[in-house]
Amino acid sequence: MLTRLSRAQVYLLLLLCLAVALVASSAIGAFAFSPARMLRFVEEGLGLAPAQAADTLDRNVFLTLRLPRVVLCGFTGAALGVSGTLMQGLFRNPIVEPGLAGTSAGAALGAALLFVFGHSALSYTAPLGTAALPLVAFLGAFAATMLVYRLSTLFGRTDVLTLLLAGIAVNAVCNAGTGLLSFLARDPQARNITFWNLGTFTTANWHGSLLVGVVFLFCYALISRHGKVLNALMLGEDDAAFLGIDPERVVFRLLLVNTLMVAVATSMVGVIAFVGLVVPHVLRLLKSSDYTFLIPAAALFGATLMELVDVVARLIIRPAELPIGIITAIVGAPIFLWILLSQRRVRT
Amino acid sequence: MNDSWPVVLEDVSYSIGAAQLVRAVSMNFAANRMNVILGPNGAGKSTLMRIAAGRLAPTSGRVTYGDDNVRAIEPRVLALRRAFLSQHVEIDFAITVEEVVLMGRYPHFSGTPSAHDREVVHDALRLVGMTSRRRQAYPTLSGGEQQKVQLARVLAQIWREEDKPTPRILFLDEPTASLDIHYQLHILDIARSFLQRNCTIVMTLHDLNLAAEYGDRFFLMHQGMLVHVAEGRGNLARDTLEQVFDVRTRMLADDRGNLAFRFFL
Repeated sequence: MLTRLSRAQVYLLLLLCLAVALVASSAIGAFAFSPARMLRFVEEGLGLAPAQAADTLDRNVFLTLRLPRVVLCGFTGAALGVSGTLMQGLFRNPIVEPGLAGTSAGAALGAALLFVFGHSALSYTAPLGTAALPLVAFLGAFAATMLVYRLSTLFGRTDVLTLLLAGIAVNAVCNAGTGLLSFLARDPQARNITFWNLGTFTTANWHGSLLVGVVFLFCYALISRHGKVLNALMLGEDDAAFLGIDPERVVFRLLLVNTLMVAVATSMVGVIAFVGLVVPHVLRLLKSSDYTFLIPAAALFGATLMELVDVVARLIIRPAELPIGIITAIVGAPIFLWILLSQRRVRT
Repeated sequence: MNDSWPVVLEDVSYSIGAAQLVRAVSMNFAANRMNVILGPNGAGKSTLMRIAAGRLAPTSGRVTYGDDNVRAIEPRVLALRRAFLSQHVEIDFAITVEEVVLMGRYPHFSGTPSAHDREVVHDALRLVGMTSRRRQAYPTLSGGEQQKVQLARVLAQIWREEDKPTPRILFLDEPTASLDIHYQLHILDIARSFLQRNCTIVMTLHDLNLAAEYGDRFFLMHQGMLVHVAEGRGNLARDTLEQVFDVRTRMLADDRGNLAFRFFL
């Protein structure tokens, strides 16, 4: 509660930041574009202006590589931010995020299975085509998340220690599975798995970006109606029930929606940890822990943060690129520790 | 609609696996009275409260509010008719006192709260004396203050609506456990004042003297069974109390002649 800004003012501020981040992320990289050129490329791409032959390479880079990447990055960040917020509400604890609760590792294991066996044992997935990867990622993510959730809420209220331990155990099993698969895999698949575990936007294309976008918007529409429910859940499942909510059913449904949202994004970009942790944490400090405020704010801020981190990933070892998951882990892990310690301090 | 018995438990039993927590209990809670359920640890009081409030489905038997089986009432509608204050509510997030109390109004609005909802929150906070703390973060309050905020929340939930003064039920499950005596008396005084607002109270309490002080009708439970019902504290059977709680009692008179229990082994 650092600011006395009204909700509308905070939203406006976040929108402004997102707009700046989107422009910066579109413009900056191995190829740099001025705002005027970007505008012209978009017009040309949409057929609103005749294409200029001299710019073919730049235009192709911008329209088929840079722009889908910016879109994918934004929707992924929004999905991770909203997911972290939602999961903290469902687990009733501010240290939860998709990376901790096994969602990402489960999705990664599902995807690794497909990478390795996709051409042989699991070849019956062929009819699913490009939907196979998001689908197996979803199944893996859902199994892992439900396991962590059930374990950590076994004794009523979510206990931090049980939650951490359950998360560690489930993540370890998933990572061991993924590790075994990359050990078994031949080179191209193994490289896929490695890249994927580090998280990257380099493989962005319009098809994947729009899939992530559509799934995100669908899930967001469902989640954003549950702000009051998540607030009530802060009281615990029993007291939420006395306010006319069916907590068991609503938690299960929202975990399902959350897993879909995370798994589809993860199947395109790999594992990106800590964004789901940092985004709600900053917003809680900035304004309030009220979920009716947090959910829309997390979508805006998650997208902004992801764009900025991606710009850093592109610039830091230019002309090569750093996998984005490395950056989020380096920045996010200390923040995670800080939140955990301050939470323990309040307790004792 | 039965006006004098707004909550009726008929032959209610509840078991988990082989453990029978509640055995064939029938109770009528009196309208606009403080109904107190007494009993030692493990007597099944909390389970019975959750069944009476519609949170748990009894293994057999049924609970009716007026003419309606409580399990058949739609959850949001049920939330307008009864509220439940738990022993202690811990929140791990920095949410303000005002936002916590507003949760009591959630069953009343969809979307954003009306001016009336805001007004009720304000009045409830004033009633428990926490108006000046309304912008403070809930986790920074003391245990007693937190319980007052939770009381304001459940009162806001069943606040008397001028246009439809329907009977409402307030469940208090050990509302004063581990609080200072000042907070204990304050919380029970406020709760009692709701009896005048067409509200029926059902409460469990460990402290027998406090229970005797505030209660109108007493239900004594032992090992999942109802063993004694008393109208007024003068009718609480001392021999049954001694058996159930496994203590001996003496009655002491204070300097104004009011009697109180003294317990010893």
